[in-house]
Amino acid sequence: MGKVRLVGRLVARDLRRRPAQAVLLLLAITAATAILTLGLALHGVASHPYQQTRAVTNGPDVVAEIAGPAAAPHGPGGAPKNNPAPLNEARALARLPGVTAYSGPYLQTTAVLRVRGLASVTQIQGRDAAAAAVDQPKVTAGSWVSPGGAVLERTFAEALGVGVGDRVTLNGRPYRVVGLAVTAASTPYPNMCEVGCTFNGPPGAPQGTGKPGLAWVTVSDARALDAQDLVPGPYVVNLKLEDPATAEAFAFRYGGGSNPPPTAPAMVGWQAIASADALLITDQQTVLSVGAWLAGVLAVASVAVLAGGRMAEHTRRVGLLKAVGGTPGLVAAVLLAENVVVALAAAAAGLLAGWLAAPLITSPGAGLVGSPGAPSLTLPTAGLVIGVALAVALAATLVPAARAARTSTVSALADGVRRARRRATLIKLSRRLPVPLLLGLRLVARRPRRAALGAASIAVTVTGLVAVIAFHTMAGEKRFGSGGLSNPVAIRDEQMLLVLTVALVALAVLNAVFTAWAAALDARHSSALARALGATPRQVSGGLAAGQMLPALAGALLGIPLGIGLFKAVNGSGQAVVPSASWLVTVVLATLVGVALLTSIPARITARRPSAEVLAAETA
Amino acid sequence: MQQEVVLAMLAKEPSHGYQLRARLQQALGPAGEAMNAGQIYVTLSRLEKAGLVICEQTTGLPDRPDRKVYELTAAGQQRVTDWIADVSWPGPGLAEFHLKLIAAAGARLADPLAIINAQRRELLRRLRDAQRAAMAEPERSDAALLLEGIAGRLQADLRWLEACERNWTGREDR
Amino acid sequence: MSDTDGTSVLRARGLRKEYGKQAGLVRAVDGVDVDVAAGETLAVTGPSGCGKSTLLHLLGGLDRPSAGEIWLAGRRVDQLSERALARLRRDGIGFVFQAFHLMEELNAVENVELPALLSGRSARWARRRASALLDQVGLADRARHLPSQLSGGQRQRVAIARALVGDPRVVLADEPTGNLDSEATLDVLRLFESLHDAGQTLVIVTHDPRIAATADRMISMRDGAFVDETRLTGGTTGNLGALAGLEG
Repeated sequence: MGKVRLVGRLVARDLRRRPAQAVLLLLAITAATAILTLGLALHGVASHPYQQTRAVTNGPDVVAEIAGPAAAPHGPGGAPKNNPAPLNEARALARLPGVTAYSGPYLQTTAVLRVRGLASVTQIQGRDAAAAAVDQPKVTAGSWVSPGGAVLERTFAEALGVGVGDRVTLNGRPYRVVGLAVTAASTPYPNMCEVGCTFNGPPGAPQGTGKPGLAWVTVSDARALDAQDLVPGPYVVNLKLEDPATAEAFAFRYGGGSNPPPTAPAMVGWQAIASADALLITDQQTVLSVGAWLAGVLAVASVAVLAGGRMAEHTRRVGLLKAVGGTPGLVAAVLLAENVVVALAAAAAGLLAGWLAAPLITSPGAGLVGSPGAPSLTLPTAGLVIGVALAVALAATLVPAARAARTSTVSALADGVRRARRRATLIKLSRRLPVPLLLGLRLVARRPRRAALGAASIAVTVTGLVAVIAFHTMAGEKRFGSGGLSNPVAIRDEQMLLVLTVALVALAVLNAVFTAWAAALDARHSSALARALGATPRQVSGGLAAGQMLPALAGALLGIPLGIGLFKAVNGSGQAVVPSASWLVTVVLATLVGVALLTSIPARITARRPSAEVLAAETA
Repeated sequence: MQQEVVLAMLAKEPSHGYQLRARLQQALGPAGEAMNAGQIYVTLSRLEKAGLVICEQTTGLPDRPDRKVYELTAAGQQRVTDWIADVSWPGPGLAEFHLKLIAAAGARLADPLAIINAQRRELLRRLRDAQRAAMAEPERSDAALLLEGIAGRLQADLRWLEACERNWTGREDR
Repeated sequence: MSDTDGTSVLRARGLRKEYGKQAGLVRAVDGVDVDVAAGETLAVTGPSGCGKSTLLHLLGGLDRPSAGEIWLAGRRVDQLSERALARLRRDGIGFVFQAFHLMEELNAVENVELPALLSGRSARWARRRASALLDQVGLADRARHLPSQLSGGQRQRVAIARALVGDPRVVLADEPTGNLDSEATLDVLRLFESLHDAGQTLVIVTHDPRIAATADRMISMRDGAFVDETRLTGGTTGNLGALAGLEG
């Protein structure tokens, strides 16, 4: 017990004495754990909203589409008479084994919706004012259908930028938007056709105008719109089954199997709709999980640089501990305990941050009812995050701890400084370079491992950035120009990617600052000596910057093919998307400039002490 | 010329006076330049009188001093043995200088610090000479070794003079 | 104001260096005037803390004086920018430190050529000059050795060679034998003598009387000010034999 208290006291005193480094370590691990928490939270969220919508709207288990009667005569004025055929077929469907309730048939037609210069093909469903038995869309704003009034699907309205009370035209006829609603019978915009839709474009419809939206109007309004079609629109019947789990099998069996004849109704089960729903956030999930990995690697690199930077002190403290009778075990315990304490605090902070930020990300499909609230922090989630934080701390400090415990007491006390290694080829090469590059290359040669870590962390960051740019390039190519509607999926994807980009860049900046600081401190003596031998202050700080920029350049160049490869792997499609050269050049240049700027701060600060003082203080 | 030194030089083998002188000159180098040739013979005759050395006339020219061969007696041999075992290390002139300073300060004859500085200047010049002479000699030669010793003594004395300066500077404030 | 005395290589008037304020004010160098003639070896001695190292740092541009003026070869140097001072250190002034301050990961010739590379000389020129200087200090066969493979005296000789690379007007040495044993000190002593004979101007701060004795002129410092000046050239009044204990 005394030992534990001793370790605790040593750790507490150490953290108190050097709070800045502990805080930096905390920030690095917190960022990584926050991203991880977000990823895990989002993972569990996908299916919930759909279930909520299904419950609230009494969503169907199977949605069937039956063809309209062929060549039905239209009455004078274009309005069709009431045709009994669809109703009979609906009743026939309702009598199928396993069906417990039904609603419909509802006339479905297509029209072109125009508002404020935007145009979109829209699937229109005719509905009664009274509530249906199955699938009664839930109105989230305004009211339900009325003559001359249309209700738009919520996500569709968001893409159009339209709200309750706005005026739109359907096939040229004026309508007023009286409400917004959500439904579980169909996937929210823009993925409605993921589960299959059949519609004939009405005359005058813009060709190839991407993805349709969904709207509801009164039955008579629907018939009026349908009259303009060459063929009367299909009818939709919503079915409820005794055993909802059998919906897919039901749809397959009665929807005509794998080779449906043209007269069979097209059926789709609720599970298919649910998975299509998730498309809205699938991309985000992928982005988050990839981002979490990248962030994790960066966090490990940060911690490694920090731990390496403190190793000199560690070694000396180890010597002291051993000199006063500490066993190697005690020594290792103190070193590890410190980092574990910080890691645990960081895990808690990251969990909190991720939990608070999750609702912002998971207000998904405006097309699905509400937000599920803060995703519950399940025990497995918390356990995994804490475990990862500990692993990061352990991984990066195990090596220095082991080494420190092994060094003999005398050597640990005598000199905590690592001896610089000699790289004859690099030294020879650097002789022919201009002075800042000469100094920079020699600095890299002195501490190759730290340079490698710096290059690796830049490589990871650039990999992430290039993957994001590749996504944008692809999205740009595939962007459907439905007269300028915004794509909610793309919006959410971009939000997610923005978050990821910001997180990666923030971690990279932290990393660069650590590395630059450690390098500037390390190079204090040789910088002072270089100045005493005739190097100007600008040459010396240029050398320090070059010492950081050379590995950064290597890392950035490496990150480009890695980023392209990463995006290809994540995207799944065959071809690799290569971002334009100007983007890539911009990324590399921005990285170099960023590194140079970040290095200039510690360089300037350490250059303030006059050379004479530095040289007198250190005899190395 | 210290008597024991001459005795010791004869311990190896009986020698002529001029041979002795040559050997001494070689061992002392520049430090021995001021040595008077006659001193050796004076010392040798004293040793003869003391019965530590006997002198034999070689055949040839009579009564020419450089024709005599000198040899140790048994007593002389014993004396050499005793001398070699003796460890007393006579230091030159410390007490004299020390008293000089006290007398000058007490009787207000001169400023002790000025005396110290003057002495320091002198010793530094001598140190310079000794060092230059040492560097002119071949390395590891006997002469170089002696000069190194002279330089070392001078350094020690200079250090003591620095201490004197510190000490006497303090006294003024009393 | 330019220096009118043609033979004075290094000149300072009223040099002052102060640290702290008011009650805590410390005058490390207090109103010092220096004149170093071309080809002269000047020794500055004094007890530790008397300010002699600070004085040397001021003269070498490694630190800025609080007051006073410094001229190097007739050019005023105390007001120069850091950049100009750096250029000055390339070929006007060579500095030798007590702790040698060689780069551990560079071998002897790479250490010596470093100031030449820093001043923009070609790699080939720098290497040739460095090799020639190492030859001059007697370490041609150790050119590829790392400092850890050299003795203390050899390391300091490498450092002296490095100070000579730019063919400086004056070499400033701060306790050059402070970390050396007596044999290494003799090596350095010999080197200083040969440099002096070749006409190099030297200013050496030391408390080793052996080094001081090699100088033409010696200045004693105490509490930041000069207290005594001695010209050491000229014959002595005693003979070496008497110093060795030989009578008369």
